[in-house]
Amino acid sequence: MLPWLAAGCGAFEMHPYEVRGGERDSNARAVERLQERMSSGPFRFAVIGDIGIFQGSSEAAVRDLSRRDVDFAVQMGDLTEFGSADEYKWVSKLLNDASVPTMAVIGNHDMVGKGTELFLARFGPTFLSFEHGGSRFVLFDSNSREYDFPGDVPDLVRLEQALAEASLGGHRFTFSHVAPGHQDFDPTLTGPIEELQSERGVTVSFHGHSHRFRSDERLGVRYFVTDALDIRSYLLVSVEGPSVDVQQVFF
Amino acid sequence: MSRSGLAGGLLTSLLLVASSSRAQEQELHEDASESKKAPWYVPDHAAVQFAGSIGMLAAGPGWAFLDEQVDLEVLVGWAPQAVAGSDFVTLTLKAQWHPFRVRHGEWDIRPLTLGAAFSYTFGDDFYLTLPDRYASGYYWFKTALRPAFLMGGGVGRPAKVLGFERLEGYYELVATDYRIVQFLRNPDTVKLGLFSLALGARVRF
Repeated sequence: MLPWLAAGCGAFEMHPYEVRGGERDSNARAVERLQERMSSGPFRFAVIGDIGIFQGSSEAAVRDLSRRDVDFAVQMGDLTEFGSADEYKWVSKLLNDASVPTMAVIGNHDMVGKGTELFLARFGPTFLSFEHGGSRFVLFDSNSREYDFPGDVPDLVRLEQALAEASLGGHRFTFSHVAPGHQDFDPTLTGPIEELQSERGVTVSFHGHSHRFRSDERLGVRYFVTDALDIRSYLLVSVEGPSVDVQQVFF
Repeated sequence: MSRSGLAGGLLTSLLLVASSSRAQEQELHEDASESKKAPWYVPDHAAVQFAGSIGMLAAGPGWAFLDEQVDLEVLVGWAPQAVAGSDFVTLTLKAQWHPFRVRHGEWDIRPLTLGAAFSYTFGDDFYLTLPDRYASGYYWFKTALRPAFLMGGGVGRPAKVLGFERLEGYYELVATDYRIVQFLRNPDTVKLGLFSLALGARVRF
């Protein structure tokens, strides 16, 4: 009995990858928080990059969010460096306590060891789709190399369904850690996903992983890679009718 | 046999072998009054530990050197799914140095213990050499092997009634390499704790 009581105490760690206590289903709760203050008309959201071992900059980024009048933020994966319990505990609390709802994508570093189980416990399913301001947002897992390129990561069937559900006239935004075309993205799926996103009218496809800002356009879809947080920058996206403005802001 | 059963079995047999061979040694040498001179491989103590990043419970034999100033222990640890969300079995090699020793009556106090540990976690989710799908250096750390820095203290007293030379209790602050890296990289905002806590007991035969 005593060990079980003591096991509940935060001072003790059974294993660096233990899955125990702490925040649960952060992503679903962030979406709930967002739906509560549903807005129509113009809106803004932020896209923040890899957190990894840049704790100080991550805290500054989250503080900066509250000054930018954004509705919500999406973090682009690599929340942790080692996928360990201690890092997950810290980062899920950071995002949960942020002034705006913040959802997270899973990154490759979040999957090492028992990291995937920790992500599922702390943040919830790695595939997430929701609507805000008439636009559709889809978060998914594109860490193909972690699964040794099985041919169904990312899950294009699910992505296609989620994009089809979008209401007419709204924008479609997609978010995943590894960008199509990167060597860690399944090369057999790069063509198909770029075509799919083009056909389904995706406005912007957001990514992290490479740690340095980059932007280009493929088949009429804009692709953005965010800086890792040591650069102390993130993306600010303003949506007003047909206009979508993506701005790199520094803090 | 389940992994946890295996660990438990291994541990029990280690302890049995250790204590029985120690007992035999003592019988053999009783007349020679040199009972301290057991062969090097016979453990002279055993430890059991709660938490400390190497399982919920870890236990195993140990060897003391330099008049018990240095202890070397091999611990098998287990964290059950019910508590840790997944079963973890680890094998830990631990070295401790007790630079000071204060004796007060029957009590034997070691106010400071410094040490290091390497723990190996069994299972397919953990690697020692990077799987083929990665280029070398893709991840610079090994998920199966955790070096850790240890700091603590302990107190002991004779326990002849129980058949042991001495019974000791100890606490230990454990900093795994993961925690140390995060700590050193983020000196201004140390939100990740550097240490986790372990509690343990040691019997010297």
